[in-house]
Amino acid sequence: MNSFLTAFFAGTSQGAIYALVSLGLVLVWRGAGVVNFAQMGQAMFTTYIASQLIQNEYSYWSAFVIALISGALLGALVDLGIMRPLSSRKNSQLLNSQSMRTTVPVIASLGILGVLKALAGIFWAGEERGFPAPVPTTGLRLGNSDLAITGFDLFVIGVVFLALVLTTIFFTRTGMGLAMRASALNPEVTRLSGIRVGSVRTLSWAISGTASSLAGLLVTPKTNLSPNTLDLLLIIGFTAAVVGGLTSLAGSVLGGFILGYVIAFVNVYSAPENVFLAILIFLLLALFLRPQGILGSKEVRRV
Amino acid sequence: MSKVKTHKVIGFRSTRLAIIFFVFILLLSMKFGPYNQFQLANIATLLIAVLSITLLTGASGQISLGQGAIMAVGGYSAALLVTRLEISMWLAFVLAIFVSALFGLFLGLAAARLSGPYLAGTTLVMALAIPSIAIRFDSFFSGDIGFSVDYGYPPDWLTNLLGEITIEEWSLYVALPFAALSLFAVLNLSNTRSGRTWRAVRDNEVAASLAGINIARTKIIVFVCSSALAGLAGAIYGFRGLVAPSVYPTDLSLLLLTAAVIGGLRSIGGAIFGTFVIVFLPDVIERVTKFLELPETISIYLPALMIGLLLLLTVILNPRGSAGALEHIRHRHKH
Repeated sequence: MNSFLTAFFAGTSQGAIYALVSLGLVLVWRGAGVVNFAQMGQAMFTTYIASQLIQNEYSYWSAFVIALISGALLGALVDLGIMRPLSSRKNSQLLNSQSMRTTVPVIASLGILGVLKALAGIFWAGEERGFPAPVPTTGLRLGNSDLAITGFDLFVIGVVFLALVLTTIFFTRTGMGLAMRASALNPEVTRLSGIRVGSVRTLSWAISGTASSLAGLLVTPKTNLSPNTLDLLLIIGFTAAVVGGLTSLAGSVLGGFILGYVIAFVNVYSAPENVFLAILIFLLLALFLRPQGILGSKEVRRV
Repeated sequence: MSKVKTHKVIGFRSTRLAIIFFVFILLLSMKFGPYNQFQLANIATLLIAVLSITLLTGASGQISLGQGAIMAVGGYSAALLVTRLEISMWLAFVLAIFVSALFGLFLGLAAARLSGPYLAGTTLVMALAIPSIAIRFDSFFSGDIGFSVDYGYPPDWLTNLLGEITIEEWSLYVALPFAALSLFAVLNLSNTRSGRTWRAVRDNEVAASLAGINIARTKIIVFVCSSALAGLAGAIYGFRGLVAPSVYPTDLSLLLLTAAVIGGLRSIGGAIFGTFVIVFLPDVIERVTKFLELPETISIYLPALMIGLLLLLTVILNPRGSAGALEHIRHRHKH
């Protein structure tokens, strides 16, 4: 029973982080038609910024906020500097083939990932370093018995819950959120109704950057920080996004939690070295059994 | 409309190009010291893998970020055959081609349903998961340690013919014929009916299917051919000394993709150029950083930075790569 609880709580708090990553991927996919493989590279970079600030004796929370803001800026920069010029080029004769139009942004995002990793290595020497948590990472105690959950796990779950609530309010209650949903459904009609589709697109890159930056800040107290630590998170987030349906925001969050439980239970009941294999098998199963994802709609899937 | 060219199945042009490549590398190796001869052997080996991407992405528009994993399949099957069954290395290489082609068949069956980012993501997951299989089933695949395998010694008739052969020269002589053959095969393939079918699928799936092309079957065939090449490259790559998970990291898959993109995804000459870049660029950068006396933190990451920037610049400035840029200039001169 105790190992079950351990796996359950670990799955919930890790799943919350995967949900953020997967949400970030889906936001950009819906908003710009790009799966951003550089996403966790951006997060790695902003986490290094936070780490540097903390080393320079800034408080955890100011570093936290600055990392989130730089995540948004970096996301917007990627769109404005690279992805937007690329998409205007896509209409040129240079890339007149159908399949290359989806392939080229993927390649560009891999280039960004490579550059960010190398830059992080140059700036911060690249060796693994720890990243602090604002609350203790040891197990909580209730009276005399140890609980299977740590204070930090609760913190992660709380922060992600807050982020998800804010995202939901943004998408359902604000004009900008509605504009984003509209332009994801039909960019042409949205443009005709007077919404600046370009800015909406950049905004979705910025929100995605913030979400993944938050994921980076929440995962590194456990995994430590190096230019490569967050690669695994991208793989998991991608799988979660596909499981949830690449087009559904709610699906992506659900997919994140499902992946969290799958990985936690494989870790506890099997062995950690099985995790990669489990992810691959899970992804292939999802693609074969329900390619449109749990909450994705069949028509919208651009495959 | 452009002129319709017709080609014979075994083109004169492709034979010529493959021979030119073979002789060029051989002549170059005579000018080089042992280290650069070894690098040339690396070029010959990695060229086969880059060609597998040119074939897959350039000819059919599908993208794979997991070619390194398929290389691992080829490497492990050759290493297992040689160490467990003690067959000859050459036979093992040929069998490795078949095993990885079979693997490509399964991959293709899955990939035929996927496209664009789905396929990219799935192959990326594969690139991470396949090497971990070796660690998971370590009694069979001998885990992190892997298999120590090498090219052995050159046969007597060759040493009689050429005199003393160093290890570096021998590794080049092993890899180069395979590279020339692969070059020949890919050049021919792109000029045949199948090659044209693949390009039709790449450019417009709907139009291709209306023209009577079976899209799914075409995609699977492309995957089989591409995987066969990647598997061969993986076998030769591993036999440089070690077949282990660390030899086929995810970065290798991305490096190969970079080579194919820099050169131009649709050009075979571009594949050769791109392979030269990824193999020799780190050496050139190392010389420059030594000359400028840059600190170590910069010199370690500078090659990766340059390769990432090259990839990015190619995609932004000219997605057709350096081959496309050449073509562009030539066109401008004609008109």
